[in-house]
Amino acid sequence: MEDLIRIENLVKIYERGEVLALNDVSTTVQKGEFLVLLGLSGSGKSTLLRCINRLIEPTAGTIVFDGKDVTKASSRQLRHLRRRMAMIFQQFNLVKRSSVLTNVLSGRLGYVNPAASAIHKFAKQDIADAMACLERVGIPEQAYKRADELSGGQQQRVGIARALMQQPDLLMADEPVSALDPATAHSIMQYLEQMNQEDDVTVVTSLHFLSLARRYGARILALKDGEIVFEGSPAEIDKVKFKEIYGEDAEEVEVR
Amino acid sequence: MTKTYHAGFMSDKPNWGQALKLWRRDVLVFLTDVACLAGLWMLITYAAISPDRGVLVFLTVPWWLMLLVVAVLAGLWQSFGLSSGMKLLGRRLKATQDASGAAAFARRLFRALLLPFSPLLVLPVLVTARYVPIHDRWSGFETQSATEVVDPKSPWYRRSWAVAIALLALTAFAVSVIFTRVNLVKLFTEFDNTANIRAQIANPNWGVLFEGGQLLLVTLFMAFMATLFGIIVAVPLSFVAARNLTQGLVGRAVYTIVRGILSILRSIQPFIWVIVLIVWVKAGNAPMAGVIALFIHSVADLTKLYAERLESIDPGPVEAIRATGASQSQVIMYGIIPQIINPYMSFTIYRWDINVRMSTIVGMVGGGGIGQRLLQEMRVSDYSDAVVLMMLIMVAVWAMDTLSARLRERIETGSSNPALPSYALKLKTEISNRTFGSRW
Ligand SMILES: Nc1ncnc2c1ncn2[C@@H]1O[C@H](COP(=O)(O)OP(=O)(O)O)[C@@H](O)[C@H]1O
Ligand SMILES: [Mg+2]
Repeated sequence: MEDLIRIENLVKIYERGEVLALNDVSTTVQKGEFLVLLGLSGSGKSTLLRCINRLIEPTAGTIVFDGKDVTKASSRQLRHLRRRMAMIFQQFNLVKRSSVLTNVLSGRLGYVNPAASAIHKFAKQDIADAMACLERVGIPEQAYKRADELSGGQQQRVGIARALMQQPDLLMADEPVSALDPATAHSIMQYLEQMNQEDDVTVVTSLHFLSLARRYGARILALKDGEIVFEGSPAEIDKVKFKEIYGEDAEEVEVR
Repeated sequence: MTKTYHAGFMSDKPNWGQALKLWRRDVLVFLTDVACLAGLWMLITYAAISPDRGVLVFLTVPWWLMLLVVAVLAGLWQSFGLSSGMKLLGRRLKATQDASGAAAFARRLFRALLLPFSPLLVLPVLVTARYVPIHDRWSGFETQSATEVVDPKSPWYRRSWAVAIALLALTAFAVSVIFTRVNLVKLFTEFDNTANIRAQIANPNWGVLFEGGQLLLVTLFMAFMATLFGIIVAVPLSFVAARNLTQGLVGRAVYTIVRGILSILRSIQPFIWVIVLIVWVKAGNAPMAGVIALFIHSVADLTKLYAERLESIDPGPVEAIRATGASQSQVIMYGIIPQIINPYMSFTIYRWDINVRMSTIVGMVGGGGIGQRLLQEMRVSDYSDAVVLMMLIMVAVWAMDTLSARLRERIETGSSNPALPSYALKLKTEISNRTFGSRW
């Protein structure tokens, strides 16, 4: 299979506080893969994801996305690349005071004419698409509510709808279910799974729980203190590997 | 297992940015202590000497001598105890060499005397890779963040300074009240001096009502124009005056300059601007001078309020919009503006309210409108005219106050955003500061 992302010797140092968040990380993600990032909090998962679309500037190393070097892209090229990499977040990151529909439509911003979008004017087709995306995540009736009136699970669905609007090749999810209860978590994970299987979207998601990773992940990449400590299939993670990733005192818990 | 760290991580090369930051904090600690001690000095000298020689008694000592003494005292305070500055900014002194006995005492003394003259104040660059200023290095100490040092039992003098200062301040306060009591009594015993004024006020001259109304319109118009032009300049300016939106070297420089200029402008009161502007744009154009004066102050004030709001926006949505491939202008339009629009409106109305009140005062120093007329009447002691004008002003200010309160309430309660009460609260305190504070 073809590589979608190739990461080579990626280093990120946060100047403030002198934190070495990523230390020489190299890996590849294949097209259509469902990759799960594991690791304790502070291990560098969010940093890795944000380096891929350069929300965070890497300190050193290269990231190649579909044959194009993200790290060397001009700001215009970068915006074009970002259109193809959607992202959802632990805290949903919706614009709380805007309507649900506007939030979904903003997934389209990279494609539309900036002048038209400046006066909040979207094409009829875009609005129809946005409604279709909301229907797909099961909340079309919420379209005209303010985003902060929705429950956490519903907000994350809006996040997914916003990602769908981008018609992405890659979906990055930074602990998408950590702020949700277990039942809602599974329904959100199933949307990711569906996007992966039906729309051929490559998914890279960080998760807190190994049980979720085992259930949804095709491949697992575990980070510890900014370094890769494990790379392989979920089945390969035994007791020993688990302690290596999470530390000696950790116990595995099940999320049903 | 040994770790191989990426080259450049925690290198021994001096980190100037970091050193500058630490140096700034040290200076701040020092200045806080100096300010505390200088304040104490003034209080004590004021309290100790009879009131007919007045508050300026601390000046009987040459200013440089006072500063020198205070600086040395600050040094002693920092080296032997836990100074206010260290306490406030969370710094602790830690001995890097043997910390007991006479030698340690001598080293503390050395440090105290060195501190005011150390390159701390003049040469921030004389530092090693890990920032340690000269006075610490030579005396074998180190200041560390309070959380890094576990305090051993602290002797009484390292704890009771705050208590001592509070006691002294109270004493000074009590003494000053005793000395001014005589004048307070006059307020009640010599009321009869105002008989003439009271007689005129009781007999208002309603003939000036129409003319006064016209002048009031001029004043309201001045406030309106100043606010309008203020918005036009302050909204874009606030984006370069917000810390979180001005990253990088150029951004930081612009931020510092804009904020600096703004705080200078804000500290010059509108009535001073009027006096300057009347000379500048010629006296015939009085309302124009008033508008410009209010405009300058409005820009400075609004920009600060706006920028502070920008600084507290949720970065999450902004990041999310950026991640969709949106351009910078789209990020502002979709990620930032929805978060700030209501507070901005609220601040603007509040500022308009202030401008209405200020415009009468600006008029008094020659800025045109009803205020100017009021002062003229008071000059010629025509209080029956003045009282009518004052009533007009009162009605206008009251109406504006009510209107602005209603409007702001509408804006703020029109949303269920939990982040809102905090700025509503801030606005309230700001307003009461301005209404009852030392502005006028
Ligand atoms: N903006 C930042 N400035 C300084 N250090 C940061 C910043 N963001 C993250 N870090 C640090 O980088 C490390 C990795 O963080 P992160 O990528 O958020 O980990 P994770 O997502 O796995 O919890 C942590 O030690 C964290 O404290
Ligand atoms: Mg994280």
